[in-house]
Amino acid sequence: MSDQLHANPDSDTPPVPGEGVESATEAAEPTPERSTGPEAAPEGGTPPAAQSATGTQASQLSQLEGEGDVAADFLEDLLDIADLDGDIDLDVDNGRAAVSIVGGDLGVLVGPGGAVLEALQELTRLAVLRETGERSRLMLDVAGHRAARRAALEQEAAEAAARVRGSGEPLRLAPMTPFERKVVHDAVAAAGLRSESEGEEPERRVVVLPAADEGP
Amino acid sequence: MLAEALEHLVRGIVANPDEVTVRTKQLRRGELLEVRVHPDDLGRVIGRSGRTATAIRTVVGALAGSGGARIDFVDVDRRR
Repeated sequence: MSDQLHANPDSDTPPVPGEGVESATEAAEPTPERSTGPEAAPEGGTPPAAQSATGTQASQLSQLEGEGDVAADFLEDLLDIADLDGDIDLDVDNGRAAVSIVGGDLGVLVGPGGAVLEALQELTRLAVLRETGERSRLMLDVAGHRAARRAALEQEAAEAAARVRGSGEPLRLAPMTPFERKVVHDAVAAAGLRSESEGEEPERRVVVLPAADEGP
Repeated sequence: MLAEALEHLVRGIVANPDEVTVRTKQLRRGELLEVRVHPDDLGRVIGRSGRTATAIRTVVGALAGSGGARIDFVDVDRRR
């Protein structure tokens, strides 16, 4: 059962022309367990520009809102049981449901290196799968951890891109989680360079590549 | 609280939530949480390569604090 479920999110997503290097390089990689990572799924989901039918968009939006509602119920009950104070914010971002637990003193749900956050996201996605029958790619954040991490990584990626541009040599970054690599790939692309991932989890890391056809 | 949190997490992801039970056993080395699910759901709580069981242990372990938590997913079929 799990194989089929895991295979779907990748196969049912058409490659998006002009979406950038990230989707092409990541999608081309064959490592099986990578298909379960959030990064492996179609980056950015379905871009609004490619959606001609607004009806499709509306139904996709309501599906993502439904995912958020299921996730919120699941997480609110957990907060109650654990006697943690937190509010749930729901949003839709880049074709994914975005679920944030906000409040003070939630560090226990983030954990060292965000490990607890990743685990809780995994379980929340499974809870949504159970309720909706659809695999969810929802993103969970706790106490702004991902947002802060994203800002730091974007900075790091910009600096790496600048170095690679100067040296013309590929630069291997430290091992990162799928979420972190996705942020770096996007930031490197925004800086006009290409990147790819190499190695196996949990040692998988981003390599920033020099531009292939560096114009004058 | 730990047993209740564990039960909530497991009930949330299985097909037969009413057949989830969690028992707390006091051992010399601390508390052991024993989870029983419908046999058809065992694969769901373990997950591929134990991924889901690991996620459950991570979250419950965090809630447990410094002492951590020991969780056993009991294979009901096997023990019968």
